[in-house]
Amino acid sequence: MSESATPTLTAAASAVDAFKIYGKGDSEVRALDGVTVTFDVGRFTAIMGPSGSGKSTLMHCLAGLDSLTSGTVRIGDTDISELSDKALTRLRREQVGFIFQAYNLIPTLTALENIRLPLDLGGESGDQAWIDQVVDAVNLRDRLDHRPSELSGGQQQRVAVARALASRPRIIFADEPTGNLDSRTGTEILKFMRRAVSEFGQTIVMVTHDAVAASYADRVVFLADGRIVDEMTEPTADRVLDRMKSLGN
Amino acid sequence: MSTPVPRLTLRGVLARKWRIFLTVLAVVSGVAFVSGAFVLTDSVKRAINELFATLSGEVDLEVRSTVAFGDAARAERDPVPFELIDSIAAVPGVDKVEVNILRAATVITSDGEPLRTTGPSFGIAWEGPDGLDGRTLVKGDIARGPGEITLDQSSARRAGYEIGDTVTIVGPTGKGEFELVGLNGTGSTSNGGGAAIIAFEPQTANEFLGAENRADSLYIALSDGASREDVQQAVQSAIDAKYEVITGEQSAKETAGAINDVIDIFGNVLLGFAAVSLFVSAFLIFNTFAIIVSQRLRELALLRAVGASTRQIRSMIVGESLIVSVLATVLGIFAGMGVAVGIVALFNATGAAFPSASLIVSTRTILASLFVGVGVTVAAAIIPAIRAGRIPPVAAMRPELGFTALQKNKRLVVGSVVTALGVAFFGTGVFIQPGNVVSTLLLAALGAVFIFLGVSSLSTTVAAPASRVISRTLPLPFFPMTRSIPGRLGSRNAQRTPRRTASTASALMIGLALVSTVAVVAESVRQTFRDQIEGSVTADFFISNGPQNFQGLPAAFAERLQQLPELGAVSPFRATVALVNGDEKQLGAVRGSAFKDLVDIELQTGSVDSLDAGMILLHEDPARDYGVGVGDSLDITWQNGTKQTLEVGGVYADSSIAGNWLIGLDTLAAVSTAQPVDFFIGAKIAEGVTIDDARVAVEKIAEDFPSAEVQNQAEFQQSQEDQFNQLLIVIYGLLIISIAIAVLGIANTMALSVFERTREFGLLRAVGMSKKMLKRSIRWEAVIVAVFGAVLGIVVGVPLGAAVTFALPESFVTTIVVPYSTIVTVLIAAIVVGVVAAIGPARRAAKLDVLEAISST
Repeated sequence: MSESATPTLTAAASAVDAFKIYGKGDSEVRALDGVTVTFDVGRFTAIMGPSGSGKSTLMHCLAGLDSLTSGTVRIGDTDISELSDKALTRLRREQVGFIFQAYNLIPTLTALENIRLPLDLGGESGDQAWIDQVVDAVNLRDRLDHRPSELSGGQQQRVAVARALASRPRIIFADEPTGNLDSRTGTEILKFMRRAVSEFGQTIVMVTHDAVAASYADRVVFLADGRIVDEMTEPTADRVLDRMKSLGN
Repeated sequence: MSTPVPRLTLRGVLARKWRIFLTVLAVVSGVAFVSGAFVLTDSVKRAINELFATLSGEVDLEVRSTVAFGDAARAERDPVPFELIDSIAAVPGVDKVEVNILRAATVITSDGEPLRTTGPSFGIAWEGPDGLDGRTLVKGDIARGPGEITLDQSSARRAGYEIGDTVTIVGPTGKGEFELVGLNGTGSTSNGGGAAIIAFEPQTANEFLGAENRADSLYIALSDGASREDVQQAVQSAIDAKYEVITGEQSAKETAGAINDVIDIFGNVLLGFAAVSLFVSAFLIFNTFAIIVSQRLRELALLRAVGASTRQIRSMIVGESLIVSVLATVLGIFAGMGVAVGIVALFNATGAAFPSASLIVSTRTILASLFVGVGVTVAAAIIPAIRAGRIPPVAAMRPELGFTALQKNKRLVVGSVVTALGVAFFGTGVFIQPGNVVSTLLLAALGAVFIFLGVSSLSTTVAAPASRVISRTLPLPFFPMTRSIPGRLGSRNAQRTPRRTASTASALMIGLALVSTVAVVAESVRQTFRDQIEGSVTADFFISNGPQNFQGLPAAFAERLQQLPELGAVSPFRATVALVNGDEKQLGAVRGSAFKDLVDIELQTGSVDSLDAGMILLHEDPARDYGVGVGDSLDITWQNGTKQTLEVGGVYADSSIAGNWLIGLDTLAAVSTAQPVDFFIGAKIAEGVTIDDARVAVEKIAEDFPSAEVQNQAEFQQSQEDQFNQLLIVIYGLLIISIAIAVLGIANTMALSVFERTREFGLLRAVGMSKKMLKRSIRWEAVIVAVFGAVLGIVVGVPLGAAVTFALPESFVTTIVVPYSTIVTVLIAAIVVGVVAAIGPARRAAKLDVLEAISST
């Protein structure tokens, strides 16, 4: 265990002996029960597991949205469990990108303003050429002045992806990014995330319970009862599905 | 590069226009009071100053009697004898000397009733537009002979007279008939600021107004080229030192100043109500922002997740409140101008004619409005902003975690501490009364504010159980649905967000607590007054100058009543001021031999008859303070400077009618050469005469004094209470504005709750709840919140009122009365408030499309 605690240069994020315990005594719930995992730079990792397996908690803790009961989480070389709220905020703004299942966008801002939000919050101008490239990649050029309410669900999610990419974060966390979309738009988003990894070298960690979605990843980590129970590289939808079945989903 | 916080702030406001509109409305009303008070006082004061400057016209100098003490404009001055005119006119540089005579006089309308005016009603000596004062002739001719007068045009119109008509005037010497030959004008007003002005030719004024060759003052005009200072000195050396020579400007300034003081009091009252309505608005603002923050929980958490700092979130919320407040303040300043115009119009409609004034919006008005408008709004939004900053980013995915963050607090502790502090401040202010009146009032007001804040905070704890109790105890016959599903839902909804219920109810609490406080004090004073009249007044009749009470009755009336065989004891009651052992005191003057049969002053030692022998009577409190008793003496300095030593002839215990000091009529007459004025006359019927016969006789004399009002004990009591009630109506009227703001607050909270519960309502409708039932449950919830506010208000207000009553001097109040009728009224009003506040939100909830409502997130 102690060897894997040393972060390698290729790790974008890692968790070591991560415990997250809610409640006490009889009502104690171990959402994370000693998780140690590393996410390599430039890879697309899917975290899978049945409901209540702790996959969302793991992601929230990795992203600095929630804190561990014990254990360490690193983003790059930074041990985030020691960061102040201010430093965490800065880390989220500069090194982490998010894509949520729903409610990704600020309703009062336009698509472009939403994309630029993390940069603007930090008072940075960002790399305009890169933003243009991202906007073109998600095919949103003619929708930039629209408010979220004027966009379809797929378009909204594309804006969310573009926002996550805009600041070139060290790592992007995606929480069921296709959960609210029909399969065609879902596929579109997944293909785009895949491209971001393959072409731009972006690191993405995605929580999902959809085997098809997981098949777009380079690697799948399986969680059950707060523990990592298995891993799979070069996944296909069928193999993932089989594995999930055996986990009792 | 663009910064997202201002943008987010602005968009946040725009996205919630209607929600924020209600908040703006609440702030506007408070700011309008503030700016209205300033605009009104500034504008009217300037107009009054200009008016009196105009009125002083070509008066270069004025000669009048000196006074030993007191306010220059209000002091009672001895008249100036006409003999002085010749010696003044002989002074080189004096071109012209005019007499100034101004005495109470009343116009009898064409219907035979005394003309009611809001200002004083007086007769003056007027030489016409060629004279020295600045009055103008508007129409017709000036009065040139004994049978002629001019009237101000407003009084002439309201009394129903035209030029050429015969007008009856009642003056100090009785009734007289005059031909109306013209209309006079005063500056830009249609009358003299609510006064009725009857102008006579000077010699007629002298006779009819009973001046007896003595003027109030003398006006002097200088010849061309004469130096005012030189003439002023020359005139002063030509006359006795008991007269002084002042400039026309100084005289105008003094008179205007006295009126300005009254306007300032009026302005301060408005500011007081501004404070109340702003305080209530603060609750509404706080509530609105608290709810907005919880509704935007996910949005705020998302911002946090993508990198917004706590500070950025806080600035965003505070920024929104800043936008709201600036908008509201600007509107409020304009609304305040409207308030000022409205108040002037209101007064003009009741007969007072304010000089036409251009509205003055001074820098101070704008700064004060901005300070309170922006200050109150931003201060109220700070706590919601701090809470918003506490929302953890993870709430973007798990909103339930965000709600717990929003609800962390130490309400119980803070609430108790603040309430205790408030009680301490209030108690110190009311009972110990440190410093002067202002510091006492401020301390009590601060205490009340703390109590309101503390109770509001504590009420969160009891909101849920109280809602349950209220929903069970409200009379079932009126609300048969309490046991039904809508009834239960309404009640549970009121319980489910106790904080929201509590702070919404708190806004209503403040207005109703103040109403309860005022009601307790008023009812106690009223009851005490009743007891006193019943216990101490033995007179059968009271005669006063009804509509023009403050001008009093001519002394001739009492003298004629004295001759009536139907009456026994008759005594007028006059008032004066004097220095008693160096302190300025109000003294009453009566005829001792009669007064003892008219009012029971609970004499402790001495005799009331001693008044007629030139002695002084005093209440036991000052007797104790000055350490004097019967046989001791007191040094009196009268206003005209005469000094005298009076022997104490008695000490009494009941000051309700008599006041603290009493002297005999003869004592006053001997020292004062001013025309005597009776504030009221008390009379007792002679033995063997029926009260009806006596009344007929009294009324017959009263025919010559048409403005006099003859009242028996019950009528007197009633008329005193009526005056009292009018004051109460004004206070309640202004408090209603704060209650209206609270209604807005309840409506706002309900609307936000409806919005939040869209899904829930969709579900209820889907499983078969009718629109009517849905509306009913919302109405019921609003009623529970309102009644909770009313109960809080009563619980806070009644003890506050009792404390104030307890602290008042015994001459005002001896008993504490809990006004049950007011309490019941307040509770019923609260139910109405709830129903009214629920109209909009209920209608909105009923309009929801079932399918859309269910699928909304």
